[in-house]
Amino acid sequence: MRSLTLTGGKMSAPFGRSTRCLSARSPVGLLSQLRRNHPVRCPLGERRLSQARPGGQRGPLEGLTVLDLTRVLAGPFATMILGDLGAQVIKVERPGAGDDTRTWGPPFVGAESAYFLSVNRNKKLAAVCDVLVENFLPGKLPRLGLGYEQLCAVNPGLVYCSISGYGQTGPRAQSPGYDSIASAVSGMMHITGSEDGEPVRPGVAMTDLATGLYAHGAVMAALLQRHKTGRGVHIDCNLLSSQVSCLTHIAANYLNGGQEARRWGTAHESIVPYQGFSTKDGHLVVAAATDQQFVRVCNVLKLNELTNKPEYKSNKLRVQNRRELLHTLSQRFLQEKTADWLREFEGSGVPVGPINNIQEVFSDPQVKHNGLIQEMEHPTAGQITVPGPAVRFSSFAHDKATPPPLIGQHTVQVLRHTLSYSDDVINALLESKAVTQNEVS
Amino acid sequence: MSVGREAAVASAARRPAWTTRGPHSVGLDESSGGALCHHDPGGPGSPGYQGAGDDTRTWGPPFVGAESAYFLSVNRNKKSISVDLKHPRGVGVIQELAAVCDVLVENFLPGKLPRLGLGYEQLCAVNPGLVYCSISGYGQTGPRAQSPGYDSIASAVSGMMHITGSEDGEPVRPGVAMTDLATGLYAHGAVMAALLQRHKTGRGVHIDCNLLSSQVSCLTHIAANYLNGGQEARRWGTAHESIVPYQGFSTKDGHLVVAAATDQQFVRVCNVLKLNELTNKPEYKSNKLRVQNRRELLHTLSQRFLQEKTADWLREFEGSGVPVGPINNIQEVFSDPQVKHNGLIQEMEHPTAGQITVPGPAVRFSSFAHDKATPPPLIGQHTVQVLRHTLSYSDDVINALLESKAVTQNEVS
Repeated sequence: MRSLTLTGGKMSAPFGRSTRCLSARSPVGLLSQLRRNHPVRCPLGERRLSQARPGGQRGPLEGLTVLDLTRVLAGPFATMILGDLGAQVIKVERPGAGDDTRTWGPPFVGAESAYFLSVNRNKKLAAVCDVLVENFLPGKLPRLGLGYEQLCAVNPGLVYCSISGYGQTGPRAQSPGYDSIASAVSGMMHITGSEDGEPVRPGVAMTDLATGLYAHGAVMAALLQRHKTGRGVHIDCNLLSSQVSCLTHIAANYLNGGQEARRWGTAHESIVPYQGFSTKDGHLVVAAATDQQFVRVCNVLKLNELTNKPEYKSNKLRVQNRRELLHTLSQRFLQEKTADWLREFEGSGVPVGPINNIQEVFSDPQVKHNGLIQEMEHPTAGQITVPGPAVRFSSFAHDKATPPPLIGQHTVQVLRHTLSYSDDVINALLESKAVTQNEVS
Repeated sequence: MSVGREAAVASAARRPAWTTRGPHSVGLDESSGGALCHHDPGGPGSPGYQGAGDDTRTWGPPFVGAESAYFLSVNRNKKSISVDLKHPRGVGVIQELAAVCDVLVENFLPGKLPRLGLGYEQLCAVNPGLVYCSISGYGQTGPRAQSPGYDSIASAVSGMMHITGSEDGEPVRPGVAMTDLATGLYAHGAVMAALLQRHKTGRGVHIDCNLLSSQVSCLTHIAANYLNGGQEARRWGTAHESIVPYQGFSTKDGHLVVAAATDQQFVRVCNVLKLNELTNKPEYKSNKLRVQNRRELLHTLSQRFLQEKTADWLREFEGSGVPVGPINNIQEVFSDPQVKHNGLIQEMEHPTAGQITVPGPAVRFSSFAHDKATPPPLIGQHTVQVLRHTLSYSDDVINALLESKAVTQNEVS
């Protein structure tokens, strides 16, 4: 990803929990979203698919250019994945956005007019890019001359992906997007939390991330269509729709059966035992969905008498009599440590797993094997480590990643190579402060 | 886990109209997962119920007619053929379909399909352009590759449960299987990336998607905080570690979420709550200070929010510039005018269940409307149709296959 800094107003900010600045003293939170360059050291070996070809071949999106006007989480997550797949991503940032002072709120009036100064440059970039991704409040970019209709007149093949809180149109379109609030409004919080406890939020902004995932796929669907039609498209992704779509069967239960949802902690409404249990020193999740697996659980727990009780014979009966059964099992699990239980369950055929904290996650050998610990060299931060790409392809390796950019690190490079500006023009822009170049390039 | 005997042949829902045949994809399901990928995100790893075809057909109540709402929610726009993979002729049908399809999606335990002659290496020898997307619990290789994928367990192992739950409470799971769904979302994108590449190279690819990697990647800053700073994560309920007030509050009749991240917004919150004295307290002047003194401040705010109903608070916050929203239950979600405006309530006619309603597609394109959706198929509803039109089998061959029980046709077609 390259960082191009243009002066202008603060951009509207769909909200995530992650930090957003790109400076030499960048909070680590942002580093995880952005990608990479120098040869990546893959600890414990890169995982391989079948007898896949060795890596080093081009990613699927090599040759494509993405103009990234997004900030915070959903948008950057989407463009990061496109970058992982080989696209060139030009991230446009306002100078000063790297300050420690955060600008969490919607844009302030005065700053908007300043953004006009950068409109022409954005237009020219949009004319030579394949994809533009933005997360402004609907209507804002068109007012600046950077709306879809305006840009596709110049570049009819442009795939223009808008990410917002609630959608490009409709009664709530002007509400800024915040993961927390979208999670609440979309029903996600209502269904998350302990059975007799308050609603809570997923511990990472899954609504933002799901939106970014929908967006990255939609962009590629549009690029596929462009092969046939030669034309681009305007895409509407938003937090509300992403999370409501992800309600899947929870939604269908209500829409078809009028059945309201509730919180279940780690448990399952219709399968017992299928949940977390506290152990002597942590927690374990057991997923025993069949009668056979229930018997095995009883064997391992040395509670064989439970297998003779008629009220626990079938899943349906176990669901009906869950309270008592789960109490018995819970008491038993408390008596030993997680690691001991895991060992005792080995070979039983019952799916179990520990509730890992983050340290335990990144000590897991499968996590290492999957290349999920990605180290790289950052120009000023030195060695950094980020969670690696989730998907592997047999056709290329993720070994061409570039580190997260410093703010304005590539301003001159992009103006020179992407827009073919002469040095004179570039210097004039720098002097006028319409653009800024980081001292690191 | 039961071996899925049902294979779904699909054309993806949200693709624009293709002029000729258009890409076809074949989904091979072990339990529910692979089917979910065709039209919309989904993922593997559901518990192994015994049942015919995709296990989720039996996951209810509620049922609509004979169909579970669960199955209906993630299977529109697909055709269903019923094929016995234990029967050699059944395997032959799948091999021939793979030869003429663009994409294959599967969620078997790694190694199983190759043993049946349906692995990537085998099928791409016949169809070098095939995009073969494998979805599993932990990956195609590695120490845990043979563990079946369950959202619940992957959510635990990947750290998601550890960070979800109330501050002083136990870990919990996201209320819908977000690990499964994130994996499906990654998969649908990866498939399209591979199709894009195929335009250049003419060749397909084998894709490895799995629950563990999807969820660990989604840890983003939580992961980076640990990997770079050694900082372990913890649970925060609805709250934010570094912004106050930014969380849910109980009201007289429900809950409300407030996202006041700036000092200005904090002042407005105090105005609306008629707690203006708080704005004069030096210990609440900046976000940093509010975070330091959060316990006391949040207690004060919590007590105040309890005094009125959610709807009243929402009204009072209108125009304040402070982002707020109710914690909606599912009925409230689907009464929301923006949800309706976004087309998220999708009604369609099902051949036996009658009218069904499912959550609609999340993404809209300016170039086409989602008005050609077909209902979720009955099991084996399109077996004969697919053999005839996609594989050009003669009636004699089809009848022989039906008689041998290598394939089955539903009485509804």
